[in-house]
Amino acid sequence: MPGNAGLHAEVGGLSIGSPVIVASGVWPMEPSLWPEKALEGVGALCSKGLTLEPRTGNSGKRICESYSGLLNSIGLQNPGIDHFVKNELIGLQTCDKPVLVNVSFESIRELAAILEKLLPSRSLVGAVELNVSCPNVSRGGMTWGLDPEGLEKAVSFARKIWQGPLWVKLSPQTSSIGEFSRICQDCGAQAVVVANTWLGMAIDNDEEKPFFERIFAGLSGPAIFPLALRAVWEAAGAVDIPVIGCGGITRPEDALSMMLAGASAVEVGTALFHDLSLPAAICSRLSAHIEARSLGSVGEITGRARR
Amino acid sequence: MALNVSVQGAETSDRKGRIVLTESVGRGCRHIRVEIESGCCRPDPGQFFLIRERGVFDPLLGRPLAPIASSNNSLDFLFRIVGRGTSHMASLPPGTEVDLRGPCGRGFPGPVKRRLILVSGSLGIAPFLDASARYRDKMEVTVILGVPGNGWEEFAKWCSSRVPGLRITSDDGTLGNRGNAVEEALSVIEPGDEVWGCGPNAMLRELGHLFKIGSGRILVSLESRMACGIGGCLGCSLPTATGMKRVCVDGPVFEWQEIFPNAW
Ligand SMILES: Cc1cc2nc3c(=O)[nH]c(=O)nc-3n(C[C@H](O)[C@H](O)[C@H](O)COP(=O)(O)OP(=O)(O)OC[C@H]3O[C@@H](n4cnc5c(N)ncnc54)[C@H](O)[C@@H]3O)c2cc1C
Ligand SMILES: Cc1cc2nc3c(=O)[nH]c(=O)nc-3n(C[C@H](O)[C@H](O)[C@H](O)COP(=O)(O)O)c2cc1C
Ligand code: FES
Repeated sequence: MPGNAGLHAEVGGLSIGSPVIVASGVWPMEPSLWPEKALEGVGALCSKGLTLEPRTGNSGKRICESYSGLLNSIGLQNPGIDHFVKNELIGLQTCDKPVLVNVSFESIRELAAILEKLLPSRSLVGAVELNVSCPNVSRGGMTWGLDPEGLEKAVSFARKIWQGPLWVKLSPQTSSIGEFSRICQDCGAQAVVVANTWLGMAIDNDEEKPFFERIFAGLSGPAIFPLALRAVWEAAGAVDIPVIGCGGITRPEDALSMMLAGASAVEVGTALFHDLSLPAAICSRLSAHIEARSLGSVGEITGRARR
Repeated sequence: MALNVSVQGAETSDRKGRIVLTESVGRGCRHIRVEIESGCCRPDPGQFFLIRERGVFDPLLGRPLAPIASSNNSLDFLFRIVGRGTSHMASLPPGTEVDLRGPCGRGFPGPVKRRLILVSGSLGIAPFLDASARYRDKMEVTVILGVPGNGWEEFAKWCSSRVPGLRITSDDGTLGNRGNAVEEALSVIEPGDEVWGCGPNAMLRELGHLFKIGSGRILVSLESRMACGIGGCLGCSLPTATGMKRVCVDGPVFEWQEIFPNAW
């Protein structure tokens, strides 16, 4: 990234060339499908949410645009951890950046089995991103992340098995994002991702029915940015481990705001659906800020709005 | 059974464009021409672009449209206003800057049989306006357009002016022959013909009848709501005979049998 000095960051046990991460569930797992130069400015890439067994995901309609937002009800469609390790994890290394593996589970036994299957490929996994926040499945997913005891159990257990970097992706539906972030920190997580999608819904007025078969769905995109920013502010005030800001980042300015609020890095999702140049533009904006304020590196931007 | 055409992700990219022409084509339909700033490879018929107004976050996502014609620096689209995205697009005056992502997906591969029959329902004719222009000098191409009827006169006329010999059918009998596009196809098909379909799912399913007459090959172009267009979000996935497939990269064009394995 020429001209983007000082963007290198050490975050949650991970060394990344820029603090811009592609969020889970938005990027194809096959490098043959990646548009040319599309990962410019990206520091790390996160996998789709993976489960022990393959899943076909939810039936019926899966996406619905709302005002400056997107509701999704994908339901963790994924080929299962075995297929991912055997076929996709190696291919993903062609991006030449750390690969985060987003792990979703119904039971502690399932979590153990997934992590054990990842262990032999430890060197290919930048970090495990524990997904305790998927709103689109009946069992597991978000339920782990809404109960303090469940969260404690899952994170402590993952910490015992997985010696590599361990991040936890929280749900914004928690009663207190600060308290839940602290639980993650106390149980050995090295970073918290704040946050996953916000629970919403849509009604099909012609059919007089909920639009989605599962009724509720996850809201992402510009509409949620101020909500996510507030959550990042709260989390960053509650923990010492890095907070990764995620939710609605659409313009380079948004990423800067997230970092000023206390994020050490950001994840971008929905914006990539219409703008593949955003990560590079975020890098330029952060570099310009570093230069304008005579900072040493991007890490010094983190939390400056809290002083 | 899967189509043996490769998708090159590298060909799909975000492009900047500008609307240079916009005209109404009958009630609720619009033709626009977009000039592409950096030029564009010519898409295969059936490939599509996600298109949106630049710098506007509501509507947020690009809407998938299949070009009806292309040159080295422009793309033409024909669409029907059905919701927020398409009504917004229809309201944009010439000069408006737009974002385009594409060309996306696997379009119709070059025909392999002697005669080609293109069966469309309403706006499903979009990719066939391009395909018929491309192939009619090389082989016998029959294009069939089925519309509801009353209110579609101008649309039918506009399409007829672009497709010599267009065969029109309407449900209410006010335009062309009374009936639907599949019935019309049954009346012209000969054993060994290649059939391509684009339109409502119910119509595409009915195309299976043409196998009984001995159609050599039936390809269909599907629609699905899309967010990313590059195979990442899985918003467009649907079950097929060979597992879950993404309409945006595994399609939108599929072998008929792959989509309707249990239809007959
Ligand atoms: C590969 C592909 C090529 C297409 N080419 C054309 C074309 O050339 N001309 C054209 O007029 N239309 C085309 N469509 C359909 C077009 O994309 C939709 O009509 C459009 O996205 C609707 O957006 P909206 O915001 O106006 O409607 P919305 O407000 O989102 O929805 C209104 C209505 O449109 C339906 N709808 C929404 N999105 C889609 C979708 N992606 N596919 C099918 N139905 C949808 C909904 O079920 C609803 O009935 C194509 C679709 C695909 C997938
Ligand atoms: C289509 C889609 C699929 C997603 N799949 C996952 C997933 O598998 N695992 C996960 O942790 N988050 C998933 N997410 C959530 C995103 O990673 C991100 O946290 C969220 O969309 C908010 O960020 P954004 O507004 O930048 O998109 C998904 C989001 C979308 C839109
Ligand atoms: S539209 Fe995202 S995978 Fe097809």
